[in-house]
Amino acid sequence: MTASIAVALSELELDALTELVNLGVSNAASSLRELVREEILLSVPKVVVVTRKEAIANLGERDSRPLVAVHQDFDGDLRGRALLIFPEAKSMELVRAIVGNDLSLEDIMELEQEALAETGNILLNACLATIANTLQRTLRISLPEVIHGKGTEFFDLTQSPSLGDSVIFIYINFSVRTRDIQGYIAMLLDLPSLAILKSLLGALIERTR
Amino acid sequence: MKQRRVDLISSDRDKAEDAILDAINAGLIVLDRSERVTHWNAWMEAASGHSPSFAQGKLVTDIFSGVDLKRLTPAIQAALTSGASTIVTHAINPSLLPLKTRSKTLLLHDITVTPVGASPVAGCLMLITDVTMAVKRERYLRDRQNARYDAVVANAADVIITVDEEGLIQFANPAALSQFGYSNAELLGKSAAELFETRDEWRGTLQGALANSPSGQPIDLIARRKDGTPSYLEASASRWTSGTRSFVTVILRDVNGRRATDAALRKSETEARSAAAALTELNRTLEQRVQERTAQLMQTEDALRQSQKMEAIGQLTGGIAHDFNNLLQGITGGLDLVKKRVAQGRFSELDRFISGAMASANRASALTHRLLAFSRRQPLAPTAVQVNPLLASMEELLHRTLGEHVHLELVTAAGLWLTKCDPNQLENAVLNLVINARDAMPDGGTLTVETQNSQLDSAYAALHQDIECGQYVCISVKDTGTGMSAATIAKAFEPFFTTKPLGRGTGLGLSMIYGFAKQSGGHANIHSELGTGTTVKLYLPRYNGDVEEADLIPDLSDVQSAHTNETVLVVEDEFVVRELIVEVLKELGYSTLEAEDGPASLKILQSQQRVDLVISDIGLPGLNGRQIVEAARVTRPTLKVLFMTGYAENAAMAAGFLEPGMSMITKPFAMEALASRVREILEK
Repeated sequence: MTASIAVALSELELDALTELVNLGVSNAASSLRELVREEILLSVPKVVVVTRKEAIANLGERDSRPLVAVHQDFDGDLRGRALLIFPEAKSMELVRAIVGNDLSLEDIMELEQEALAETGNILLNACLATIANTLQRTLRISLPEVIHGKGTEFFDLTQSPSLGDSVIFIYINFSVRTRDIQGYIAMLLDLPSLAILKSLLGALIERTR
Repeated sequence: MKQRRVDLISSDRDKAEDAILDAINAGLIVLDRSERVTHWNAWMEAASGHSPSFAQGKLVTDIFSGVDLKRLTPAIQAALTSGASTIVTHAINPSLLPLKTRSKTLLLHDITVTPVGASPVAGCLMLITDVTMAVKRERYLRDRQNARYDAVVANAADVIITVDEEGLIQFANPAALSQFGYSNAELLGKSAAELFETRDEWRGTLQGALANSPSGQPIDLIARRKDGTPSYLEASASRWTSGTRSFVTVILRDVNGRRATDAALRKSETEARSAAAALTELNRTLEQRVQERTAQLMQTEDALRQSQKMEAIGQLTGGIAHDFNNLLQGITGGLDLVKKRVAQGRFSELDRFISGAMASANRASALTHRLLAFSRRQPLAPTAVQVNPLLASMEELLHRTLGEHVHLELVTAAGLWLTKCDPNQLENAVLNLVINARDAMPDGGTLTVETQNSQLDSAYAALHQDIECGQYVCISVKDTGTGMSAATIAKAFEPFFTTKPLGRGTGLGLSMIYGFAKQSGGHANIHSELGTGTTVKLYLPRYNGDVEEADLIPDLSDVQSAHTNETVLVVEDEFVVRELIVEVLKELGYSTLEAEDGPASLKILQSQQRVDLVISDIGLPGLNGRQIVEAARVTRPTLKVLFMTGYAENAAMAAGFLEPGMSMITKPFAMEALASRVREILEK
């Protein structure tokens, strides 16, 4: 899978990235816990680096259902886009987990966009900030945007043609107590950014030795 | 976004820049890297009540002391340290900052926190957006809509649930909660399929609605409640969309009551049907039982009829014994005289005694014939009958039957017409009537049997059922006995009706007579008065034909004698009968051989001895006549046989087993008859 990637991350570097994301997700979980009335458990993330095509195929394989994504763009030392993706069907469950069961379906639907944006924002910020801080780099991260659609649309980067082909896929299981909500975090990086990430991870590994 | 260099330290702040910030219709707070306020616009002053000079240089937590800022604080830090942008919405954070509108009502707002300047970040911008109007308008619209909606949905007796495309429950009305027994929290987010036992039907309903091809007819579903009990529901589903999402709202009607009614209806219907079936069965078996009972009655009736005959015979026995003794007396007496005269050498007048003995023997023969005929079960064999001679031949019998106390008068009309009926039955009928008459006159009296020609006119026929006008031979039997009441007369012809004491009669006599008359195309009636006697009249239709020639018994002398050397074997265990037959045959010129049983006869038959004819009794001790002939025919296949039998039934059976070359003659027979049969057989 990684064969087609121009700049491949070594196993060590992947482990380091996973560790970073894990740290970020832990921070996100504590932030979410402030927000969500039910306990949210986030699993240890699994990180893979794939091509965009593979990412789309991967996403389609895992889920042919309509998806919803919260995405935030970032620039600075690294340029790219972070996305939190989960099945659209589960999005209202997530909203209910946050605002409670008392609201009517109409209320939930009305709050859905904002609630998704804010929840995704917390998660993505936590991940990105943790990565940036640990790598001792500064990013500018945009406000979140909610989009509905399919993997192809999420990774269609016509709007950001400068972004490269590589996708770092991070799978995280959201489990909101009784509610079975599963989601993924994906990061798209352009080629120079992936190279920078690789070197930053290398430096990190050096430092921690 | 155009990067603007903001000199936060500068004291000669650009007045124009402040004016622009104040003109923005949103709250604007700028913090430096140490999270202290550098900008606080006019909108913020109005909403918070804090002036820019108050806010200047302070931490946000100080300005809004006592306010929970757990979302804002990390957002500010993230912006300053990581360059992260954060959105904090009113939607999920109902109370953010304590802000008021101009009318001093709660100001609902969203906040975004974004970093300012390129890396490293110079500070952060907090933008506070007033969403009060939008939220209020939405809430008003929703409330107005919900009021109508709730009035329908919340109070509906039917279950109303809304599911998303995945089939997950997004809404459930109060009726749903009570129907399924789950709480609202348990239902929401649950896959609705889990509520149903008939999941395929449920999925079909859902898919049909999602494809916008609803079934049009309610679909029957069986739900499983939380407590495990089943519930029968009728589902109607329809799809609606909101943005990119599709939902299906399903109305589920509780049909348990209707089902129970249907079941009860079906049950009672089934019960009614089985009751009807039972009734049909009862009718069927009733018919069968009636048939069985009828068959039983008919058997009994048959047995009674036979026993009635036997009863009549029993009554006749005394008279018959007397008759026979007289006849035997005539025979033996005649023969005795012949023997004496022959011994004395006196041959004159022998013929007179022999003729007397012959006449007695013939009468005895006729008597036994009549008895046999009477006791035999036989169908009617109508022949032309001369009633007067028939009655005359019965006279002796009737006398014997009536005894000495009753005087018999036989009044026969001259020129009486012929009738056609079974003569045996007619004799039976007369005999029965005579016996009845005798029983009606226990102290004696006069019995008159009278015959006459009778013309029944249409007036008479009209008065009597089942009778045609015409010419009849009338036989009346009249007694001077006790007579019958009108009620008894009315029932007299009914089967089993009897006035006789138990064991004295079957009650079938008159009904059989009536039956005989009807079968013969005639009629029977009773005239009777209590104390003066009874007259029973039998009407038999006139027969316009000739009397069939009676079998005339030819004289022995007329019979052709035997041809040369024709040999006859006589097999008979009764010595007298065998001797008599042998004697007659010798007279006729035949050579004769005798055997007293089967083995003796076979000895002859299996030898080379010439035998042209075997005359054999059927009933022999050991081998019977048939067996002898079968054995003999092995070597003499064309052997001619004449069987003799004393049983009429054997004669009747004869047709069944008589092979070519076999004949039968019934005992007793006249010697002349035997002679002619022998000649007949041998010449065939």
